[in-house]
Amino acid sequence: MLRVANLSKRFGGVVAAREVNLEVRSGEILAVIGPNGAGKSTLLNLLSGLIRPDAGQIEFLGEDITHASPEVRAWKGLGRAFQIVQPFHEMTVRENLMVGALYGKPGTSLKAARQVVQQVIELTGLTSKADTEAGELTLLEDKRLELARALCTQPRLLLLDEVMAGLRPAEAMEAVELVKRTRASGVTVLFIEHLMPVVRALADRVVVMDYGQVIAEGSYEEVAANARVREAYLGRSA
Amino acid sequence: MMLAAVLLFLALVLPGLPLGQWRAFALDTAQFAFLISGLALAWDLLARTGQLSLAHGAFFGLGAYAAALSAPALGTVPALLVGGAVAALSSLLLGLATLRLQGMYFAIATLAFSEVMRTLVLKAQFTGGSIGLPVQPAFGGAYPLGGYYLAVAVLVICTLASLLLSRSRLHYAMAATRQGEAVARVLGVPVVRVKLVTFMISAFLAGLAGGVYAMKTLFLSPYDAFGLGRAVEALVIPIFGGLYTTTGPLLGGLIIVSLETWLRLRIGEGYLVVYGVVLVLTILFLPKGLMSLFARRKGARHA
Repeated sequence: MLRVANLSKRFGGVVAAREVNLEVRSGEILAVIGPNGAGKSTLLNLLSGLIRPDAGQIEFLGEDITHASPEVRAWKGLGRAFQIVQPFHEMTVRENLMVGALYGKPGTSLKAARQVVQQVIELTGLTSKADTEAGELTLLEDKRLELARALCTQPRLLLLDEVMAGLRPAEAMEAVELVKRTRASGVTVLFIEHLMPVVRALADRVVVMDYGQVIAEGSYEEVAANARVREAYLGRSA
Repeated sequence: MMLAAVLLFLALVLPGLPLGQWRAFALDTAQFAFLISGLALAWDLLARTGQLSLAHGAFFGLGAYAAALSAPALGTVPALLVGGAVAALSSLLLGLATLRLQGMYFAIATLAFSEVMRTLVLKAQFTGGSIGLPVQPAFGGAYPLGGYYLAVAVLVICTLASLLLSRSRLHYAMAATRQGEAVARVLGVPVVRVKLVTFMISAFLAGLAGGVYAMKTLFLSPYDAFGLGRAVEALVIPIFGGLYTTTGPLLGGLIIVSLETWLRLRIGEGYLVVYGVVLVLTILFLPKGLMSLFARRKGARHA
């Protein structure tokens, strides 16, 4: 579904992505993990088009999207939820979702968008908050909104950037259920996460990054047993 | 909506009211207030995409000159459309060069544009240069109230454009662009195109108002038509009335122009002091302008 080949990006002297190779298979939930500063968020920014790579290629559904703008990627079915929730504060929850529903898929009418929004509101449990201004939501509700807004663009592949961060364990498990339901509806998911219980509960496959490089790949058990991964997480701090 | 209908009714019947010796003055002030309110409504459209323009005085001036120069050949209404089209075309060129800039930088670019336009009109021959340009009245003076009703029509058009846009698909794109450009793009909003289209609609309406203004004052000079004062007024009125709304700039424009005219009569140039105080008080105590006085409105929905 998504194929990343030799993707590289430097910021001044810092290499944020070094020849990253990655494949996301249709229908799977793929986790990208790694210590702070490993280049995970840079990878998502490269994938959603907010920053341009210095080298390498990104292929989505068989098309080269390396140089496509963020909006074109969205139209092709690439959805994204941000780590730091960025709702449109002066709009209600419903209006926030309308933006994604109207523009995520070109040619969506106001009527069709309203239906998509209503479905997503019910799916994500935001019914009671639908007409609340986004600036007044709690963190959990903000996170739900972030996810819901990405879902409204009707993505084929959903990129989730630490959407569980800051949630209490019970809330995180609720969010896990939501992501599972999303996948069940036919959406492929790539997510970045720090919380290992969440990774274990969700991921079919795990990719580990460190210093802008992919250092391991496999099932949760495989990467958890990998020596390089243990070193990346524990070695330097121990 | 109600308010707009009431105002329209008042505007239509105003020439028929028994105003005695004040009639000509009232009509003249009202006509000016309609045009400036139209300009403020036009400015607010672009503001909804998060861009602060100081070029709207220049669009108004370009519309005025273009309409004045083309009216003898084309007739009144086509000339007004030419005025709007010239303003829209110049906004397209300015926008292609500057709309990727944000906030302060865009504002400075539009300020520079205004100065360039004034200088061009000042130095050109066919505009009358610094001597100025005499303008024919609307419809060659055949209808004494022609100019007045054209101003009413311009205000109706600007109000309708503002209302329709706040109920359209574009409304969501504009509000999203203003509140978070990167997020909007990731959600599929083509923000550059949205800004450019809005800029052109906004400039067209400003140019339209400028054309009617030319046929009202009957004489244009680059200093008046491209003065920074009007660019400032175009943004002060929506801030005073309530940004990103239709009622705000509409009501704000009528109040500010009336107040300004009345103060000018009473205390001459001292009106600027009162004007300043009113603005400071508004910004301090009514962060959403006059709209703060109405029932609290939610977010991106506009009256």
